[in-house]
Amino acid sequence: MRDWITTAAGLKIEITEKMQKTLEGLDKNMLGLRGLIDWQEEPILHCSVPQPEDDAE
Amino acid sequence: MTSMTLIEAAEALRAGQVSSTELTEECLKRIESLNPRLNAFLTITAEIAREQALQADRERRSGMDRGPLHGIPIAHKDLFCTAGVRTTSGSKLFENLVPKFDAAVVERMREAGAVMLGKTSMHEHAYGITCDNPHFGAVHNPWDLARIPGGSSGGAAAAVAAGLCLMGTGSDTGGSIRVPASYCGVTGIKPTFGLVSKYGALPLGFSLDHVGPIARTVRDVAVSLAAMAGPDKRDPNSARRHADDLLPPKEIASLAGVKIGIPENFFFERIDMQVDNAVHFMAYRAQDLGAELVSLRVPDGRQLNTIAQITLLVEAAAVHEPYIRKQRKLYGEDVRTLIDMGRVIPGVDYVQAQRLRRRAQDVFRMILKQVDCLLLPTTPITAPNIGQSEVAIGGETEDVRMATTRLVRGFNALGLPSLAMPAGFTRGGMPIGMQLVGRPFGEKELLRIGAAIEDATGHTLRRAGVSTA
Repeated sequence: MRDWITTAAGLKIEITEKMQKTLEGLDKNMLGLRGLIDWQEEPILHCSVPQPEDDAE
Repeated sequence: MTSMTLIEAAEALRAGQVSSTELTEECLKRIESLNPRLNAFLTITAEIAREQALQADRERRSGMDRGPLHGIPIAHKDLFCTAGVRTTSGSKLFENLVPKFDAAVVERMREAGAVMLGKTSMHEHAYGITCDNPHFGAVHNPWDLARIPGGSSGGAAAAVAAGLCLMGTGSDTGGSIRVPASYCGVTGIKPTFGLVSKYGALPLGFSLDHVGPIARTVRDVAVSLAAMAGPDKRDPNSARRHADDLLPPKEIASLAGVKIGIPENFFFERIDMQVDNAVHFMAYRAQDLGAELVSLRVPDGRQLNTIAQITLLVEAAAVHEPYIRKQRKLYGEDVRTLIDMGRVIPGVDYVQAQRLRRRAQDVFRMILKQVDCLLLPTTPITAPNIGQSEVAIGGETEDVRMATTRLVRGFNALGLPSLAMPAGFTRGGMPIGMQLVGRPFGEKELLRIGAAIEDATGHTLRRAGVSTA
């Protein structure tokens, strides 16, 4: 598990116990979800390239 | 007059039975009387409203008809930029922000002839569901002033429920249209991602923000959404789709041939018994109308919620990065905490969440090939009290914010349209909400199904008890 307090301190952010618990919970869930990732799959991130028709306007 | 639905008011305006000026004055009178108790409006633009109403009446006399919103008094959530009218996003940070331009949704409402009564209250920066705003005070639920209206578009929902306006614009990043619709007993739609332009809406989560209407009935919402929707080159996520004809027919006799999915898992787990009963009753009404109810299993909602939460925490932290370090004191504690959490989540988690998000979209696409829509509760509980932080459901205690967003948040990550509508009332008289989730850009069918169920149940006829006395 990640050390959230140290990570946050590096960013000069104070983490309360409640925040730490929430982050730990999310981290745990994400670890579990990694098994579902299709590593060949592109994430939903895209680069919007202007289309020629947009340039013409 | 303010007890009319938007559609009824539009018909009365067309028939010359009422003028826009009369409707507007009636709303302004009601705002003056009730807003001190509800705090639904942050800014009242009476002068603008009177001018726009006069113009609508002049246009109508000259034979012009801009459509069903022509002359209808509405309100805008205070995160939509309005030229010359302050736009706070419910925050101290933007307390004095007066934009020089209108958001796309404001423009479109004006072009449709709607009359702007003012700007509605909201949870600070749209980042929360209580509308217990540390800078502008708590918004109160018209069904019980001690309770929250839900959020973040709580002012809009409270205003519609109390008859202060006939429609309110809203935004939904993790349930912010649907939650207040559920808690205030009104109707709202989070359309498909990209159907309504976000241009000029102060952002929270770039890939999760949706713009949509809150009104009394499904048909009110349908005509409002039709006026808002459509391509906009100023919004990079805007879809090249129009939605001109969304209004369901007046009488829908049958839902024959419609398949409605009822999830066996997650969505009916750990919910208040009265909510469970009311939502199932709505499903049986749909069955009475000829729809086929299909019991099915859906992916674990907790996984989808994790994906949506990570996405929102990181995107909101990015939105607020320019301000949070130097102007921390201008943020309320709950919002500041969420932004700080987003700042420490590693970028790799965000990207993996987007991978998982695509996978979840594929699974739901398959599910929505088997059925036309899903029918679910909007919130597992009814409106909690102002200041309440925990709620007991089925013997377990849960954080109010997490409980409230548990059944709605995932559909923001999926980008699917979701129509939130009343499903009945508790024994104590508080509204219960349900949602219909449909296929991408399947708003027309979703609204038709919703209208049929609404016609068969009549929950929207009941009015909030708050009075001008």
